[in-house]
Amino acid sequence: MSSSLPSAPIDPSLPLRAKAGDRQAFAQLVELCYPRALRFALHMVGNREDAEEAVQDTFVRVYHHLGRFRDDGRFEPWLFRILANRCRTVLAKRRRHAEVIQYGDVPDHDAPTPVDGPDWMEEIHKVLATLPVGQREAFLLHHVEELAYEEIAAVTGVRLSALRMRVKRACDVLRVRLAEVRRDEG
Amino acid sequence: MRDERDEVIEAVRGALRTSVADQGDPRAVARILSAAFAAPAPSRWRRWLDGWHLPVLSRAGAAVVAVIAVAAGFVARGVLPNREPMDPMAVTGELPIPVVPASDPRAGAVATQFVFEAPTARSVALVGDFNAWIPTAAPLLRLPSGVWTVTVPLMPGRHVYAFLVDGARLEADPRAASVVDTDYGRPSSVLMVPGR
Repeated sequence: MSSSLPSAPIDPSLPLRAKAGDRQAFAQLVELCYPRALRFALHMVGNREDAEEAVQDTFVRVYHHLGRFRDDGRFEPWLFRILANRCRTVLAKRRRHAEVIQYGDVPDHDAPTPVDGPDWMEEIHKVLATLPVGQREAFLLHHVEELAYEEIAAVTGVRLSALRMRVKRACDVLRVRLAEVRRDEG
Repeated sequence: MRDERDEVIEAVRGALRTSVADQGDPRAVARILSAAFAAPAPSRWRRWLDGWHLPVLSRAGAAVVAVIAVAAGFVARGVLPNREPMDPMAVTGELPIPVVPASDPRAGAVATQFVFEAPTARSVALVGDFNAWIPTAAPLLRLPSGVWTVTVPLMPGRHVYAFLVDGARLEADPRAASVVDTDYGRPSSVLMVPGR
């Protein structure tokens, strides 16, 4: 049985304790962030093996670069910046864009969507896979991981206006393609 | 620009936010922690460098810095003696857990992860023939889920080991394929580490 992952903000003292060398705090961070990180990576790269590799690389990098984490910063945007970069690296390395992405672990057919059923979920994933990486990344960070545009802009270095445009284009494509699916089903 | 939310996008969002991961999977978390802790700890110089946020340089500025760095490299090459290669099996002073990044190709040791579930324990240590059953040699790290873990380098072959719980009680590894009761009457497990 699956459910929506909690996205409550992380206790700000946790990354600071990890930065100061507290391994328990780092372990707690990994345990708290792992489900969301894996979810994002799965939607980005499209298969579990690559997603797990990206997530593990990310946390190893986070651990060794905690010194760069700003004391007044939020941990999640920083984590997702590193994770997004790792996902891009994995995508570039494996070059699997051409194939239809198989979300082996994604299907979850009891999601509260207006159109239920495996076809709906599958169609979302197919459309998502056709989006340019930058659009997919921006859409997932904003709409799924609920990061503010300002946070995404700050961590990715992409201008706010460009970021909004990426999300808008991703939404347009999803809206049009999924409307077609609905019409076909209707 | 308005936020792009409507019925379709909300439905997509809801579907994608649905859990697809192993929530709190202790094995996955343990794997990640082992990988993180097993990699060599950054040196003091590296940590100092990490604390710096380099200013954005112009192209001319970057070129000047690059020339200085190359020149310094040539000078240092002629001045500094060659360092002995680090022993990859050496335990770094900072790490309380004796871990190595990977198997040592020279010695043939294999990085081996141990996991032990003991939510109520105050401490757990790995003791065995590979560390002379010394209680302080390989303390396990407790994950928030109550799972304890450590990664140690082991030579290929047969190893007898146990977990020392709270510094007083020896327990066999419930995950081990083989459990033996030694002459001393203490529960122990057996692990066969394959050669590489």
